[in-house]
Amino acid sequence: MTFTLGNYYPAASLLHKLDPRTKILASLLLMIVLFMINQPLPLAVFGLFLAVMIALSGVPFRLVLKSVKPVVFLAVFAWVLNVFTTPDEHYWFSWSFLHASPQGFWVGLRMAVRLFFLVMATQLCLTLTTTPLEMADGIERLLRPLARWGFPSHELAMMMSIALRFVPTLADETDKIMKAQSSRGADYDTGGAIARARGLVSVLIPLFVSALKRADELATAMEARCYRGGEGRTRLHVLRFGTRDGWAALSLTLVLAVLLVLEYTHL
Amino acid sequence: MPDTFIDIQEVCFAYPAAADTPEAAAQSEQSFYEAESAYAVDHISLSIKRGEHLAILGRNGSGKSTLARLINGLELPTSGAVWVDGKSTAAEQDIWEIRRSCGMIFQNPDNQIVATTVEEDVAFGPENLGVKQPKLGQAVSQALAYVGLSDYAHAAPSELSGGQKQKLAIAGILAMQPACLIMDEATSMLDPLSRQTIMQLVRRLQQERGLTIINITHDMNEAVQADRVAVMQQGRLLMEGSPAQVFHQVETLRRLGLDVPVHTAIPFYLGQRFDLGFSSGSLATPEAAEQQLKQAFQFQAQPQTAAVSPAQPARARALDQIKVEDISYVYQAGLPTAKRALEHISFTVSPGEFFGVMGHSGSGKSTLIQHLNGLLRLQSGAVHILDYNLRQVKDIRQLRQHIQLLFQYPEHQLFAETVWDDIAFGPRRMGFSETVITENVKAAARVVGVDQSWLQRSPFELSGGEKRRVALAGILAMKPEILVLDEPAAGLDPAGREEILNYMRILSKAGTTIVLVSHNMDDLARLCDRILVLDHGQRLLLGTPAEIFAHQELIAAGKLTLPACKAFLQRFQADCPGLNADCFSVDAAVAELERFVTLKPAARARVRQQQELQERRGGTAL
Repeated sequence: MTFTLGNYYPAASLLHKLDPRTKILASLLLMIVLFMINQPLPLAVFGLFLAVMIALSGVPFRLVLKSVKPVVFLAVFAWVLNVFTTPDEHYWFSWSFLHASPQGFWVGLRMAVRLFFLVMATQLCLTLTTTPLEMADGIERLLRPLARWGFPSHELAMMMSIALRFVPTLADETDKIMKAQSSRGADYDTGGAIARARGLVSVLIPLFVSALKRADELATAMEARCYRGGEGRTRLHVLRFGTRDGWAALSLTLVLAVLLVLEYTHL
Repeated sequence: MPDTFIDIQEVCFAYPAAADTPEAAAQSEQSFYEAESAYAVDHISLSIKRGEHLAILGRNGSGKSTLARLINGLELPTSGAVWVDGKSTAAEQDIWEIRRSCGMIFQNPDNQIVATTVEEDVAFGPENLGVKQPKLGQAVSQALAYVGLSDYAHAAPSELSGGQKQKLAIAGILAMQPACLIMDEATSMLDPLSRQTIMQLVRRLQQERGLTIINITHDMNEAVQADRVAVMQQGRLLMEGSPAQVFHQVETLRRLGLDVPVHTAIPFYLGQRFDLGFSSGSLATPEAAEQQLKQAFQFQAQPQTAAVSPAQPARARALDQIKVEDISYVYQAGLPTAKRALEHISFTVSPGEFFGVMGHSGSGKSTLIQHLNGLLRLQSGAVHILDYNLRQVKDIRQLRQHIQLLFQYPEHQLFAETVWDDIAFGPRRMGFSETVITENVKAAARVVGVDQSWLQRSPFELSGGEKRRVALAGILAMKPEILVLDEPAAGLDPAGREEILNYMRILSKAGTTIVLVSHNMDDLARLCDRILVLDHGQRLLLGTPAEIFAHQELIAAGKLTLPACKAFLQRFQADCPGLNADCFSVDAAVAELERFVTLKPAARARVRQQQELQERRGGTAL
């Protein structure tokens, strides 16, 4: 059974090849800037930049759009709320205590657009073009300086990596246990709430028991292979910034600068 | 220059109070309550030479895994000392060097893979040792090439088969440049083919790299490949010697619940009928055993008995309980990853029949049995179970009352607070009345030897074998007419295996129809009335064991393995025409051979001598 976590889109584009740290930092910066810009022009420029990134990533546009789906409701809700709650000099129409204001319409629209951009940008930089493992690696490296103050960055990364490793295994196991219990008559989707909950318990308990046993055995196996924490450990694949990371950082800085200039000079 | 590599001196080990180390009970496969009482390892002294292949045999809970963990310092002896290459495991500064040089592979392939790609997992050990690039990369690619996994370097571990995962584990050890490889029942969860490849790999490591091999196992087929065998029982070292010497103690080993190679057991018991003993170690190989028998016995032709007709005609005529017609199944149909699991399978099973399904991993066995109780939806063809047509069943639970499925490693499905509740789960879900449930639970517990005193305990306190019996009872408590079992004895030691298979026999005698899925040809041949052989989703053969194993061409092509008893009997077919080689158990084979042999004069003289010797000792055969 093959199992894909998140919605990574396998390809060999420029965006895929960037160091995960570059991408993590870039998405952070993009996020911050998105909170700072509000004018139509910088927003349009941001959209343009996003379009270029999508083109560079080789991810089909349809997939990027799909990633926005979960926030559509939120965006529409915020928009509608804005339309009816923003005070204005005149209203398009009023109904009881609700007043539809043109200004609210524009404020809400910009807010929705920013929300969409936010999700698209982070999805594009992170989940769509970066494997979970690269992410874990990147986060570890970024957090490593904090280890000096006792922050367990290595342990955190090891935990993430092991979790990723065992997702398919536990998924298989869940499937197996569910089948075994349903041949004993357990029910997960029909019957009353109590019957369903009982069916679920009959799956969850064995799953936890087995996960604990696996954890115990894995710990022994790791110890047998000389694992003793992050200290003195080398890595097979070491993250290295390449020239393309430099270029990416440079272009990103320029774009961000342009955006801020456009936002604050009121051209 | 064979020098001592590992020296175990008078070692005792007791797990600290079992309550705070659940692993103690789980790891030693010993029940929670037993684990407290005794030493897990009790005054063991053993020295292992550099480059030696030592097999440690013993039942589950005999302390053999603990011994392995003492060797690489995962546990420290309570008293005594373990020396590895001149270093004591108790010395803290040497422990990492000892663990590096004594790599260990464990039973469950899944639970020892740390990283998300094959290549990074191999690198895990050397990374921990602080090996730097480019040496690290070289070590990884060399290790992968050695075990033949280079093509999978970037694959996810979940894409590998069980055998490949164990190869990966071996590669992970090799990358640390070890001197010794400890295998803790490393093949017990694999199918026979993967077991063979792993053992071949291990032998190659011993020969080419001079690795010391310690193989903890209860598979005697592996133990005979070792240079030396040690047998453990309740933490003590009971026997030690060459495989030929150790396996000659047929009765002692059987009493310990261990297996003996068929080619040793058959001559031994045959000799016993004539009061003839063979000298120790003389029955080491099938060839030697054949020679010994031919020296001792005169073979004469006998009329062929009407071969024990295996197909009971009375059964064959009855109405079919299972009728599978032309079913095919494709996983992920329509996707590029589609995989054909079954192609045009048809067969029927009559009431009370003991029906076997045989095939290697990936042959479609599991897919097939999941069709029988509607866990998988029919894609094409038809399945009739009793009076139900699977396509038209409204309430699948009604059907499942009559046909129950026991999955591999069923102990993993236990969940209730008490053993009683777990066994009663099924009957309750099926809506039986409380009185019927009580009755059924008691009856089921009795059948599989679940002690009354366990019923109010938590199932998680039991040992592996005990849990399996509870899981089986949970299925039996629904009183199914048809029982489908997927490798019910997998991972158990020989005695545990025999016990479980014996319950099958009892149930079958009581009239339950049994469908047994296994890749163990010996077991299937011994137990089943008819066997269906699957190969890559297709029906290869269907017939009685005698019919199945008459297909020499398939045996030669490696699709089937000849059961060991039949293989041994075939050696005598030239000498005794009329010998029926279709005997699939030691007892049957001995009985069959006995008809054809008389003692030669020289052997008769020897028997007399042995008897006189015994009488002079006072008649005690100890």
